[in-house]
Amino acid sequence: MSSNNKKWFSLNLTNKSNKSESCGCGKEFDSCSDNNQKDGYDQIMDVPMDRRSAFKKITAGLLMGAGAVSTSCSVVSGDDSKEKSSIEWEEYFKGNYKLMTDEERNSTVDRLVRSYELRKGKKLNISSKDAEDDVLFGYAFNISKCQGYMDCITACVEENNQDRSSQMQYIRIHEMEEGKGFNFEESDDNYYHEVPAEGHFYMGTQCFHCDNPPCIEVCPVEATWKEKDGIVVIDYDWCIGCRYCMAACPYDGRRFNWKTPEVPEEEVNKNQHYLGNRLRKKGVMEKCTFCVQRSREGKNPACVEACPTGSRTFGNLLDPNSNIRWILENKKVFRLKEDLGTEPKFWYYMD
Amino acid sequence: MNYMITKYIKSIVLIVILVFASCKNKEHQYHNLNEKIEAKSANYSGTNISSEVYNETIKKIKISEGNKEFYISERKSQITSYSCSECHNQPIKLLKDTQVGKKAHWDIVLNHANKETMNCNTCHAKDNMNELRSITNKAIDLNLSHKLCSQCHQKEGKDWVGGAHGKQIGGWAPPRLSQTCTGCHNPHSPSFEKRWPAQFNTQKVKERQ
Repeated sequence: MSSNNKKWFSLNLTNKSNKSESCGCGKEFDSCSDNNQKDGYDQIMDVPMDRRSAFKKITAGLLMGAGAVSTSCSVVSGDDSKEKSSIEWEEYFKGNYKLMTDEERNSTVDRLVRSYELRKGKKLNISSKDAEDDVLFGYAFNISKCQGYMDCITACVEENNQDRSSQMQYIRIHEMEEGKGFNFEESDDNYYHEVPAEGHFYMGTQCFHCDNPPCIEVCPVEATWKEKDGIVVIDYDWCIGCRYCMAACPYDGRRFNWKTPEVPEEEVNKNQHYLGNRLRKKGVMEKCTFCVQRSREGKNPACVEACPTGSRTFGNLLDPNSNIRWILENKKVFRLKEDLGTEPKFWYYMD
Repeated sequence: MNYMITKYIKSIVLIVILVFASCKNKEHQYHNLNEKIEAKSANYSGTNISSEVYNETIKKIKISEGNKEFYISERKSQITSYSCSECHNQPIKLLKDTQVGKKAHWDIVLNHANKETMNCNTCHAKDNMNELRSITNKAIDLNLSHKLCSQCHQKEGKDWVGGAHGKQIGGWAPPRLSQTCTGCHNPHSPSFEKRWPAQFNTQKVKERQ
């Protein structure tokens, strides 16, 4: 990395140097004029150095990296633990994913893969694939068809590495009494009896990937944002866990990790995306990402693929020939709480 | 006079600020989502994403219905004891009496509409068991079950062609490969069965106590 565009400090224990010539403002942003744009840790630390700031830097370094440094400088600790602490250090001081250059994205992905390999001895496949042009994802849900089997939830949990111990689930299937409309207060989203039950209908909710999402407006650190293809994502490493977004979401779409998520090693889905199903930590938000690791590759989200009734349709809203567009144009569709102006990209319809 | 000029300048500055402030975000150039979709898809020319790789192993047939062209999965090669006429060379009654070879699907019970409306002959041809029969006694290929079903289930047929009924296999991206009627429904008992849900969240129960 060029010295004037450095976003965090390297311990450089393994003597691997990264060089970067690309502009520092990321792909999403048009203007590349300011090559010295700083973010993250740099905003505070990478300033012209006088004696005072140098002192500050040393103190911060001592505080933040005390553990890392002590391991890495120790003569007794092996190469692996040195590399581990070097990775920890780099990871700690990396910037917001949204502002990273492609190269920085690749190197953080490499670090995450390597770190997992050092800890568990298994290789992950983490992607940092960007949104494709001319794609805007949308979702349709047929309330007449859903039978309440909840196969979607099982598939979602397995695909997205959700915490098994707190049984975190992104999707909720609501059992509603016929003739009462959408009455969430009287509906049951945790039923256990033979389905479909007489006189009831079923409808699913999850993150609706609003086009005007209130959750991203309230985030004080911009750790959550809407991608070009319409998927609302979270940078799990930038999230501070304030849960403002959880409060701002009118659809109960977001979940919080109150404890370190536990996924048995053999159940970990190793096909991951940085913004999607990679392993989370304690104190960060997560939610449905339309299975970004699958959808950007052309696959359907896990819930769509798992549904045995065909209630779920996923597709590209910009493709006039897509199934989802046909539904929007030919069925009587509606969305939840449309009056809020959140513009969910998740429509309900009936036969 | 001087006071007036200051006021004038102030109001101009305010207007300029307002104009810039209100146009700071390119995101809000559309009034609503529909407008955005319409505008952005006006010049749609396809993407680089394809779901072809996920469907490579599936044998497909291209069909054309209405103004839609898409693929469905081939069925005949998937049926273990096709062709049917290898066993069905005499009336069922005689077959049952003489019983040569294995019993393939002797346990079929028709649970589709009522007896006045449907029997075996509604869909199967007595004289040629290898193909299906329309209500007007025209042959329908066994691969094209949608042609048979949509005779009665017209609305479902229309929705299926459009994309609101059934599902696309492999992925959302083109080329579209659709599940056929028989891919999800058992034609002899087409409605979905009652069963227990795949999930029960015990933590949710605890949290809500």
